[in-house]
Amino acid sequence: MDVTLRVQRFDPEAADPKPFWEDFQVSIEDNGTVLDALIKVREDQDGTLSLRCSCRSSICGSCAMRINGHAALACKTQATGVMEDGVITVEPMGNMPVVKDLVVDFDLFWDKIMEVDPYLKHEGPEPEAEYIASNEAMLHLSGVTSCIMCGACVSDCTVLEVDPSFLGPAALAKAYRFTADPRDGDENGVSKDRLEALTKPSGIWDCTRCMECVTVCPKGVAPMDRIMALRDQAMEAGFRDTNGARHTEAFSESVQHSGWLDELRLVPKSVGMTNLSALIGYAPIAIQALTHGKMPPIIHKKLPDSKNVGKIFDKVEGPKKN
Amino acid sequence: MKYAFFPGCVSRGGCPELYPATKLICEKLDIELQEMPAASCTGAGVLQEKNELLGDTLNARTFAMAEALDLPILTICSTCQGVMSQANHRLKDPEYLAKVNGFLAEEGLEYKGNANPKHLLWVLIEDIGLDKLLTLITRPLAGMRLAPFYGCYIVRPANALDFEDHPERLESLEKIIETIGATVVDFAGKTRCCGFPILTINERNSMAMVSKHTIEAKDLGADAMITPCPLCHLNLDSFQPKAAAQAGRPINLPILHMPQAIGLAMGLSPEAMGLKRHIVSTKPLLTQLGAMAGG
Amino acid sequence: MLEHDVLVIGAGLAGMRAAIAARASGATTAIISKVHPVRSHSNAAQGGINAALTDRGDDWEEHAYDTVKGSDYLGDQDAIEVMCKAAGQALIDMEHFGVTFNRDDEGKLGTRAFGGMRRARTFFVGDFTGQAMLHVMFEQLIKSGVRRYEEWFVSSLIIEDGQVCGVMALEIRTGQVYAIRAKTVIFCTGGFGRVFEPSTNALICTGDGTALAFNAGAELMDMEMVQYHPTTLAGSGVLISEAARGEGAYLLDKDGNRFMEKYAPNMMELASRDVVSRAEQTEINAGNGVNGCVYLDCRHLGEALIMEKLSQIREIGIDLVGCDMIKDTIPIRPGMHYAMGGIRTNIDGQTNLPGVYAAGECACVSVHGGNRLGANSLLDTIVFGERSGNHAAEAARSVDYVEFNVDQAVRKEEKRIQKLLDRPKNGDRIAAVRLGMGDSMNRNLAVYRNEEGMQETLGDLSELEKRFETVPVENKGKVFNTDLVFALELGFMLDCATPIAMSALDRKDSRGAQARTDYPDRDDENWMKHLVIKKGEVGPELTYAPVSVTKWTPEERKY
Repeated sequence: MDVTLRVQRFDPEAADPKPFWEDFQVSIEDNGTVLDALIKVREDQDGTLSLRCSCRSSICGSCAMRINGHAALACKTQATGVMEDGVITVEPMGNMPVVKDLVVDFDLFWDKIMEVDPYLKHEGPEPEAEYIASNEAMLHLSGVTSCIMCGACVSDCTVLEVDPSFLGPAALAKAYRFTADPRDGDENGVSKDRLEALTKPSGIWDCTRCMECVTVCPKGVAPMDRIMALRDQAMEAGFRDTNGARHTEAFSESVQHSGWLDELRLVPKSVGMTNLSALIGYAPIAIQALTHGKMPPIIHKKLPDSKNVGKIFDKVEGPKKN
Repeated sequence: MKYAFFPGCVSRGGCPELYPATKLICEKLDIELQEMPAASCTGAGVLQEKNELLGDTLNARTFAMAEALDLPILTICSTCQGVMSQANHRLKDPEYLAKVNGFLAEEGLEYKGNANPKHLLWVLIEDIGLDKLLTLITRPLAGMRLAPFYGCYIVRPANALDFEDHPERLESLEKIIETIGATVVDFAGKTRCCGFPILTINERNSMAMVSKHTIEAKDLGADAMITPCPLCHLNLDSFQPKAAAQAGRPINLPILHMPQAIGLAMGLSPEAMGLKRHIVSTKPLLTQLGAMAGG
Repeated sequence: MLEHDVLVIGAGLAGMRAAIAARASGATTAIISKVHPVRSHSNAAQGGINAALTDRGDDWEEHAYDTVKGSDYLGDQDAIEVMCKAAGQALIDMEHFGVTFNRDDEGKLGTRAFGGMRRARTFFVGDFTGQAMLHVMFEQLIKSGVRRYEEWFVSSLIIEDGQVCGVMALEIRTGQVYAIRAKTVIFCTGGFGRVFEPSTNALICTGDGTALAFNAGAELMDMEMVQYHPTTLAGSGVLISEAARGEGAYLLDKDGNRFMEKYAPNMMELASRDVVSRAEQTEINAGNGVNGCVYLDCRHLGEALIMEKLSQIREIGIDLVGCDMIKDTIPIRPGMHYAMGGIRTNIDGQTNLPGVYAAGECACVSVHGGNRLGANSLLDTIVFGERSGNHAAEAARSVDYVEFNVDQAVRKEEKRIQKLLDRPKNGDRIAAVRLGMGDSMNRNLAVYRNEEGMQETLGDLSELEKRFETVPVENKGKVFNTDLVFALELGFMLDCATPIAMSALDRKDSRGAQARTDYPDRDDENWMKHLVIKKGEVGPELTYAPVSVTKWTPEERKY
C-alpha cells in the first residue's frame, strides 16, 4: 500500500529555523500503522527525521503526535483508517514546545504531574501483608493507571491552549488515581489534602468539559470523566467555596425547582452573591443584554409538572445532605 | 415531517432570537414542531458531573414523553444533543434502563429505548435532504464567507454520536454553509471549546477561548461565524466585546445561529431572524447581504 | 562535576528498584536512561509476577522447583532459592508502593495460572502488569530523591586500573557529551531483542549495557539461551501475553486441533515456553499452520473475562492484525522475546569487574537458566534490582572516586562521535546493516538451530561488522539526533550478536531454549554447565562454569 506522509519538520539548528512541511512516499503493509510508515521514512529515506518511538504496541507512550490534526499514538493508528486521498498529515503534539521534527519537550507535562504529589500517601501504619481492597476498586483504578503518559490529552486540551498554568488532563487523572485509591489518604480512603489542593485555581474547576481529552486518549482513561469525579469528591469532602462548586449547586437547584435553567440567577450564584466586585464586572454585559432584548426572563417560570422533576431529584439523590 | 421539539433552556433564555428563527425556517421546510412543555433541562453535562444517573433519568423522562407522542426528537442545541446522545448511549444497557425507568414509574412514564434525538443540523441532512433545502434558498449568501463552529458536544464523543454510521455528521455544518450559497472558512478552532462552561469559573480563560477562535476565523477572512449551539453563541457573541478587550484588539465577528443563516438565505427578514438582538452588530453583514440582493 | 556514589544505567523496573534501594541506603544516587523511565520496556511485561505467598498455602520451594525445572536444570539453584524466598516480600512491597493488583473475593491479592507452574501464583494487573508496576516504581523514584538523567545515552564505560570510575554520556536533547563519575555502576539496560528481527522487544532493546560491560571485560553467561515466546503476532511480532493461555486460551492448528496434547498432555498450553514454542514450530514446519502461524483461540473465555483481564492484548489484536479475540482466533507464532543470558553476576549483582553491577534482563545470575518461566522476569527485576542497589551503595562507602582526566575523556568521546558523523555517504544504511543481522539471527538462531546455520550467521556477522565500520550517519546535527543514537546502538547489537552465535554453536546439546537438530538430546554429563564468554586478545573467548545444584537433581522434563 502506498502512502504519502505529509510531515511537519523542524530543525532548530537550521539557518532559518522555521517549521515546514515535507512529503514522503512510502510503501507499507496493508494493515501497517502510521508508525510503520514513519520508521520506513527514517530508515530508508531520511535519517534526519526525528521522532520518539519504542514499543510498537501502545504501551510505552513514546509516539504520540498529531495525525490529521488530532493527537494519537502513531503505533496504534492504522494508516488505512486515516488516509485522506492517500495522504496522512503528521505533526508534533500541541501545547508543548517542539524540540525537533516530531519530538516535543515534555518538561511542562512532567512538571504538572509532579505538582499532584504522584505517589501513594497513606496516613497511618502500613499493614504487614497487602492492603485489603475490593477487586472492583482495583479494576476501577486500573482504568486510570492504564494511562501511559503519552501526552495526547495534554496536546489537545482546549484549556491548556489558552492557559498553560492549568494542571491539565493527565495530571488530574493521575491525581484521581490516588484520591480514588482506598489505600490513599485517611483511614476511610479520603484524600482530603489532595482534594483541597486540587480545588485551587488551575485545578479541577478550570476544565471546560470539552471532551477532547476523552476523544484522543488512546487508552480509554477518559481524563475528563476523572476530573468530573474529582469535582464530586471535592464537594463531598466539603470543598464548596469555589465558583465551580457554586455553579454546579445553583444549576442543580434551578433544574430541581423549576425543571429548567434560570440563567439570570446562575451567574451571581456562581460567583457568589456577596462577591460584589465580580458582580459589578458583569453589569455592562447585563445592560447590553437588556438593551438588545437578550436578557433571560426576570421572572423564571416553572415548567408544567416541574414538581415531578423535583421528585426525581429526591429519588435519585436520596434525602438532601449538607 | 413532525417532531417532538426540544428547544433547550438557552433558546428561551439568553438567546431568545433562536427560538422564533427556528420556528420560521421549520415552517418553510414543512417541519412540524410539537412542543413538549414539561420536558426538563438535559443537565447540560453539569448535573451529570454531579450525578450521572440523575441526569440520565431526566433525559429518559424526555425520551419517554416523545415516545408517548410517537415522534422523533428534534433539538436546536449542540449541548442538548450531546448530553441526550450520551444518556441514550448509556441507556442501551437494559439493566440500567430498568433502573432509570424505576424512577419514572410514579409519573406514569416508561422509556422503551427507541428515542433517537437529532439536532436540526442532522435532520436537515438526514431526514429533509439538502436538495429540498436548496429549493427553498431564494437569496443565496453568495460571496459571504462563513466559519463553522460546532460546539463540543455535537462532535464528541464519537461513539455516542453515531459517527460510525453517520460520518457525514462530521462535515454537516460545512454542507449547510455550501447549500445556502456561502463559502466555508475552515479553521482549526471549529471543533474546539467556546469557553462557555467556565464563564463564571475562570472568565479569563473563557474569554481567551472566545478571542482565540473568533480572531482565527476573522483573520482567515470570515465575514461571520455560524453555530448550531446557542451556548457557544452566547459566549462568542455576548462576550465577544469583553474578549476583545482582554485580547487587546477589536474583533467584531458576527455570530449567527445556524437557523438564522438559513432563514436569511430563504429570504426571511433580518428582523424576523432576530439579528438585532445580537451584541456584535450584524449590520455590516446585512449591508453586504443587501448589496448582494440588490446586485 | 557530575558525580554519584551509585550510578544506575537504565530506568526500567530493575534500574529504578536498584536506584531506590541505593538511595534508601544513604548513597548519593543517579539513574541515567536513554528514554524517559516510563517508556522503558518493563512496560511490555503483560501477564504478571510470580510469588509464593505462604498465607495462601504456597511454598517458595515449590516455586523454586518449578523454576529449576523450567530452566531445564541450567539455572543456578542457589540464586533461584534467593529469588523465590524474597518474592513474597518484594511483591508486598510493590503493593504497598501502590500497584493496583487485581484482588480475590476477600480483597486480597488475586492470582492467575501461568506456564510451567503447578499452581496459580502469578499476581497481576489486568494484562498490563509491567506497565502498572513501572509507573508505580517511577512514582517511588520521584519520591526517593534520586537524580534523573532522562534521555541521556551512555556511550562508554570508563575503567581505570581495573576500577570503574564512571561513564561517558550523550545528552540526546542537546548533543552534549558529559563524563559522569561514579563509585559504582549498575547496569539495568534490559535485553538485546533487537539483535533479532522480528522480536517482541521494543526498539530500544539493543543490548547497550551488555555490550558496554562486555567490551570493558565483563563476563557474559548463557548467551545462547534466547527465549522464543509462543504467542507473538503475525507480521510485527508484537507480544500477545501468556496471560491469555493462563486464563484458558487454546492453541490450534489449521484444522482447529489442540496440538499441545501431543507435546504436553498434562499442562497442555501451559507447558513451559520453550516446550510450547517448539511444538508450534514443529507443527508449522509439518505444514499444519497457515502462513507460518498457528492460532490462539480465546473465544470460549467470553467477553466479560476478556474485557476484565485481557483487554489490552485484545486492542493490540484489533489494531495490528484486525482480529478481535472475542470473536476471532489470532494468528501467532514463536518469536524472539527474552535473553536468559547476559552479564554474569552473583546474587548481589556483582560482576567480575570491581564496582560494576548488573540486574534485570541484561544480567545473568542465573535464575532462568535455559528457559525463563513466564512472570519470573518481573520478579527477577525487583529482587535483584534491590539487592544490587543495596550492595552497590554499601560498596560505595568504602571506595573513593577514581581520579581521571575528565576534560580529556570528554574530548576523546566527542572526537569518536565526530568521526562517526564525518563518515562519507556511501549508499549503505544503518537500517540495512541492522536488518541483515536481525534476519540472519532469526533464520539460524531461532527455535531450531544447527551447526551449518550458525556458521552461516557467524560469517554474516563478520561481514556486517565490516560494513558497520563505514556505515554513514545521515543526520549531522546535535539536537535529538536519533540517527547517531541508532549508529551507536547498532554497534552494541553487533557486539552482542557474536557471543550469542558463538555460545550457541559451542553448546552441543539441546536444553531449554536451545534446540539443536544436530544434537537433539539434553546431555547432562557433558553440557550441564554454563558457557561464559569474555573479550580476549583476538576475539571472544569461551570458558565453562559449573551449575549450582542445591536440592534438585536433574530429571527428564515432562509437562
